[in-house]
Amino acid sequence: MRVLLSILSGRAIKIEDIRSTHDDPGLREYEVNLIRLLDKITNGTRVELSETGTSMYFQPGILVGGQVTHTCCTQRGIGYYLEVLLAVGPFCKEPLNAVLQGVTHHDLDVSVDKIKSAALPVLLKFILVDDGLELKVVRRGAPPLGGGEIVFRCPVRRHLRPLQWTKWGLVKRIRGVVYALRVSPTMANRVVESAKGVMIKFLPDVYINTDQCRGPNAGKSPGFGVSLVAETNEKTFYCAEAKSLEAGSGETSLPEDVGNECALKLLDEIYRGGAVDSSFQWLLALWMALGQKDVSECVVGPLSDYTISFLQHLKEFFGVMFKLEVLRSESEDEASDDDEEHVTKAQKVKMTCVGIGYVNISKRTL
Amino acid sequence: MADEAIFDKKKSHHAKRAGRKADKKKKKNEVDQSNLSARQRNPKAFAIQSAVRAERQFRRREDVISKKQHIPQVDKTPLEPPPIVVAMVGPPRVGKTTLINNLIKSFIKTNVTSTNGPITIVTSKKRRLTIIECNNDINSMIDIAKCADLVLLLCDASFGFEMEIFEFLNICQVHGMPKVMGVLTHLDMIKNAKTLKTTKKTLKHRFWTEVYPGAKLFYLSGIVHGEYLRNEIKNLSRFISVMKFRPLSWRTTHAYILADRLEDITSQETIRKDPKVNRDVVLYGYVRGVPLMKEAMVHIAGVGDMKINELSYLPDPCPLPNSEKKRHLMERERQIYAPFSGVGGIVYDKDAVYIELHGSHSHKQEDEETNEKKALLKNVVETKETVDEQMQESGFKLFSGGAVIYPDMIKDDEYLQHMKSKDSDQSSVDEESESENDSGIDQSEKENKGKMSKLPWDNNSASEAEDNEEQKDNKTDSEDDEEKSNHNDNFSIKWKEKLGEKATMAYFERQKTSKNIMKLVYGDFEIGNKSKEQNQKEFESDSEEEEIGGLFKKVTSTQKKKQKQKDQKDVDECSFFYSLNKPNLRDWTSELNKQYLINSFVTGKRSADEDASELLKLDDASDDEEELYGDFEDLETGEKHVSVENTEAIKEERAGTKRKAEPIKSEILDKKLKLKAKFDAEYDNPDDHRIKGDHSYYESLKAEALKQSELNKSVFENLDCGLRVEVEGFRPGLYVRMLFKNMPSEFVTNFDSSYPILIGALNMAEQNIGFVSCKVKKHRWYKKILKTNDPLIISLGWRRFQTLPIYSKIEDDLKCRYLKYTPEHVTCNMHFYGPITPQNTGFLALQTVNNNPNEIKQLGFRIAATGSVNEINKSTQIVKKLKLVGTPLKIYKKTAFIKDMFTSTLEVAKFEGARVKTVSGIRGQIKKALNKPEGAFRATFEDKILMSDIVFCRTWFKVDVTKFYAPVVNLLLPAGSKNAWQGMKTKGQLKRERNIHIDANTDSMYTSIDREPKVFKPLVIPKALQKGLPYRFKPKERKTTLSGKSPKNIFKDRIAVIKSPHEQKVSNVMKMLKTNYEQKKEKEKEATTERLQKHKKQIEEEEWRKLKRQKELKKKICRHLSKMASKKKPQM
Repeated sequence: MRVLLSILSGRAIKIEDIRSTHDDPGLREYEVNLIRLLDKITNGTRVELSETGTSMYFQPGILVGGQVTHTCCTQRGIGYYLEVLLAVGPFCKEPLNAVLQGVTHHDLDVSVDKIKSAALPVLLKFILVDDGLELKVVRRGAPPLGGGEIVFRCPVRRHLRPLQWTKWGLVKRIRGVVYALRVSPTMANRVVESAKGVMIKFLPDVYINTDQCRGPNAGKSPGFGVSLVAETNEKTFYCAEAKSLEAGSGETSLPEDVGNECALKLLDEIYRGGAVDSSFQWLLALWMALGQKDVSECVVGPLSDYTISFLQHLKEFFGVMFKLEVLRSESEDEASDDDEEHVTKAQKVKMTCVGIGYVNISKRTL
Repeated sequence: MADEAIFDKKKSHHAKRAGRKADKKKKKNEVDQSNLSARQRNPKAFAIQSAVRAERQFRRREDVISKKQHIPQVDKTPLEPPPIVVAMVGPPRVGKTTLINNLIKSFIKTNVTSTNGPITIVTSKKRRLTIIECNNDINSMIDIAKCADLVLLLCDASFGFEMEIFEFLNICQVHGMPKVMGVLTHLDMIKNAKTLKTTKKTLKHRFWTEVYPGAKLFYLSGIVHGEYLRNEIKNLSRFISVMKFRPLSWRTTHAYILADRLEDITSQETIRKDPKVNRDVVLYGYVRGVPLMKEAMVHIAGVGDMKINELSYLPDPCPLPNSEKKRHLMERERQIYAPFSGVGGIVYDKDAVYIELHGSHSHKQEDEETNEKKALLKNVVETKETVDEQMQESGFKLFSGGAVIYPDMIKDDEYLQHMKSKDSDQSSVDEESESENDSGIDQSEKENKGKMSKLPWDNNSASEAEDNEEQKDNKTDSEDDEEKSNHNDNFSIKWKEKLGEKATMAYFERQKTSKNIMKLVYGDFEIGNKSKEQNQKEFESDSEEEEIGGLFKKVTSTQKKKQKQKDQKDVDECSFFYSLNKPNLRDWTSELNKQYLINSFVTGKRSADEDASELLKLDDASDDEEELYGDFEDLETGEKHVSVENTEAIKEERAGTKRKAEPIKSEILDKKLKLKAKFDAEYDNPDDHRIKGDHSYYESLKAEALKQSELNKSVFENLDCGLRVEVEGFRPGLYVRMLFKNMPSEFVTNFDSSYPILIGALNMAEQNIGFVSCKVKKHRWYKKILKTNDPLIISLGWRRFQTLPIYSKIEDDLKCRYLKYTPEHVTCNMHFYGPITPQNTGFLALQTVNNNPNEIKQLGFRIAATGSVNEINKSTQIVKKLKLVGTPLKIYKKTAFIKDMFTSTLEVAKFEGARVKTVSGIRGQIKKALNKPEGAFRATFEDKILMSDIVFCRTWFKVDVTKFYAPVVNLLLPAGSKNAWQGMKTKGQLKRERNIHIDANTDSMYTSIDREPKVFKPLVIPKALQKGLPYRFKPKERKTTLSGKSPKNIFKDRIAVIKSPHEQKVSNVMKMLKTNYEQKKEKEKEATTERLQKHKKQIEEEEWRKLKRQKELKKKICRHLSKMASKKKPQM
């Protein structure tokens, strides 16, 4: 996270005491892998690791982008890497065209499906014109061994637009994808059934696809999972996902449970509300901060811990401080009158900030 | 005559009273014609006569309109804009200072004795000016051009435009053109009225070609009693005060400050120990451009990149008058602030500060004590006053319910002292507090601190706690807030009553919650920062917290907190809402929980104004307006729902009864008002009158920009100052104080206030250095062309620096080909090592900034080149053409071994597959290295080559840009020689100085060429052929042999003949005889020629005599004949 901001701000960073008191000291494999990826998309980056890996010096170069192929570490999902690429994507010299290989769905990270359905629309709001923003899942890969592959394309921009996004509307449709890799196709259908069973109580417009992968497209390990997307009439997308346990872990998960869990997660997400999915609050904050020197304001659900620490980093690197306000929705004002209906609407936070006037210095003008 | 007149009288006109014509006229006169337009009065005249012409007219109109359209920019001028920078530019002795004095006098009615540095004055209710004079140094001219909003270009009319003026205009064009007004002075030097007129005209037209046609040029006709004519000055000042400005792209993205006050706060003791010690310098000035961030890096032009150690805002020394309803400025509101010129009460000298104490101005707040002790104390106090404190101050303001109390510095001091004493013994201070106001501060202060320290902790606990409690936590949080706010109220009510202010509870609460969440995010962060800066204070506050601890939980020590932070960092990053462990999801399927959620779906109930059925109802009610309300429900979500009157109605509707409730009147009225406002906004826009037709795209863009600018202005309006500064930065118009630590001591010791101190903020990544690629064109007035790798001084962004550029040309395949010199009249590419600057930023290049008159005279025009930045990178790709040459070693049919092209096998390996070519154009390819002669290789060609052929391999050689970057530090130079900065010299300069001549390459010298005549080999006809030839063509005799011997040498090889004595005698005799005979013959020959000549002469004489005789005879005959003829004639 800090490395990412370092690249964008062009400041060198030194991280010390990385898990120095941990049993497994130093940088993890996937973190080194991430730095490799960043090295590929930049020019002039200098990284110095200490022998034990507990301290690191990182001097960023210029974002170049272009054609990149990278094999991600299987300890983390592709989402881990993709989030970073997504954040720097609009600021490269040439349009980014990245091929990432590895685990597409992981417990720790947002899956590629979620990024595709919930994060890309957010970026689209900032760049406004879609010329080649694309995320294609070529192959899927479940955790232990992976074997998935995705293609991510991102156009470049000179600067991002300020964004006012205080309305998120009402959920109008729910879509979803169920994938089943190297398992029986009935699993997928069972997941669909259970997820739909929950959602149909709220909204009739529920449609869930099944993606039954075969052969090399199914990656190297068995597994199945589901991701559900709720779209509102203000083009906000909420997404939730669930997947089966890893194949080797001994326990097994029932498809019905997976479907149910995912549906509940989605409801939770909808309950939280806000203009973006809670996983991408930080992306929203980043892009708002990197906008022109104008006011951007957005309303999001309760801030996640990750977002909070990200906001702190933003302040440290860019000096941007957000004005955060708890939004007094009408329900809370009325709380005294009719308590039952409205009292427990989730807390909404209105984030307001002035962009720092960041311009893409890597882009070439002729 | 009278009768005739009677007969001549014509029938007078009688207007028709009835009939068609009369009807028409009557009809026409019914409407009042006077205020109708020509088009309305006579529509026929405006009807389309010709379709082609109408089309042309239309096209022309559209052209004109689209020419007028600019991309709408978001208006970023704040409500209280900073003073406008008016710069006086011109060559020396043209009347700049006089003009400044006169202008100040006309604006504020006081005489200023000395003008030095920027002078800020209040000129009207909404406008302030900062007037600054530009001295005749190109460095100052560049800096002034970067910050001036309005430039008064002074020109001596009796002399005409000088080079400086053209240079300045060029500088302006590169860095963003400010408004330029020309002023012609010394007009009274021209006595002749006619020459005056023509001079004015020529100068005006010259000025127009430089700026734009129609640019304003003022004439100051002369000086009376050392002043310009009052009328003319008044006119000029009127023009200045109504001037409008268009935002410039560089300045709308960068904050900048023109420092108008400088203070050295290094302790005297350290200076005494080492006069060269790095100083702590405080600079003051108005923020301009965009908001200045607290942690920003800045560049001080002429000094270098600096980090602002402390940034705080001060009360405005030259404030705009309060918004009372007056037409004119009061006398006391016409203020002037010019610390450098000794007007605002303080005079700055090099090493001393003089204070004038008769000052009638309100801003002598920071009078420097001459007493050193006091000054020291003050320094301490001032450095302590960071924004952290301001945050706390702002807390005070918050409680006072929006009453804007700007704490005076004195008060601040008091307050700080309180703080200190309080830290040592808090309770006693609380009791001892002298004024209620102060106690108020203390308490609120305490409150704030308690919260600040508590909340972050709370956050941690929340993250620690189980996730299913998160929601509840939030709730409890808000409950806590309420609790606290109640608590605050208890405090506040006391002194609220005392102060007699009407702060409402709601306002309080709102501020409270928003602040709380900010604290939640940033709170611990700030404390973390503080602990770095002021550890001591932190501990104190800790102890404080323990005291407060009754209410809140105790706070652990900072170390523990840090540990926790570290732990957080060590955890795997994960952007999910629930970090790692799986959450206990609420069972949304249960009926109770479902209620919470159901309304966020489209199928659920909606709020009153969004519900389609209700909208329809309302539409029916307001049937006079057919328009649909489209998007206006966005405008008012909350209010209506809240309003008490209609809750009942809404409830009824919610219950699902389809009864058509009579829409409430007030609601309709409300909507109508909104519609009207919308209508007004659309049609009252004055721009609509100018631009007609279908320009909806442009209009929408414009509306968007307008909306954004309104939002920019309004969003932070009701925040208190401290927080606002924190969120959006120090907005333009604020008067700020900046502390720079470790400034070079020369900056202070060599300080000269006539040089502008421009402090420009650097945006993200602009403090870094990299390779900049830009397009550049040599200025057409610059006499020389520029050479690659010659040092060049570039003014780019805020900076001026010297660097070594490499020129190149972009080929068709986007390859940068190295150029040794800049081409003339076309742009080329330039790469240099320098500060990273956004693309499209303009720059200009100079070869020297030295003001040596000889040098200037030699150069003529100093601006060498102008251009703009294209691209930034961390490496460069400039290549130079390279031809490798080799010769054949051995030739087979189409294969040849080539030597001398490379020196090692490794090199060959690198070039395998490369294309080669002979001089005669036979193409080939490098195949493989040979091992015998090192560097030789095998190559194949499309045809057999000759041993005499030369083989070329064309490649590209990468040229590196030298990493050289030296900022021009002219402000650090001693006072007299500030304009004599000398950086790296060019090679040519060095050679000239040391009188080094280059040894010319002998190869390129001209020498006489001796060409020996070509001797061709003789024709050799083979014997077989000779046989068949006819005799004619058979070679007769061999004059030369094939062996190449010349005929002279034929006898060389023969045996020498040695004669016997007899033979010798014989030959001698023979020789003698021969000579004798020859002698005789010669004599005979001579005699013969003599005889012949004589004979010739004789013959000639004879001839001559004969001729003479004949002539006489002829004469005689002719005479005779004529006589005869004359005799005969009379007879005739």
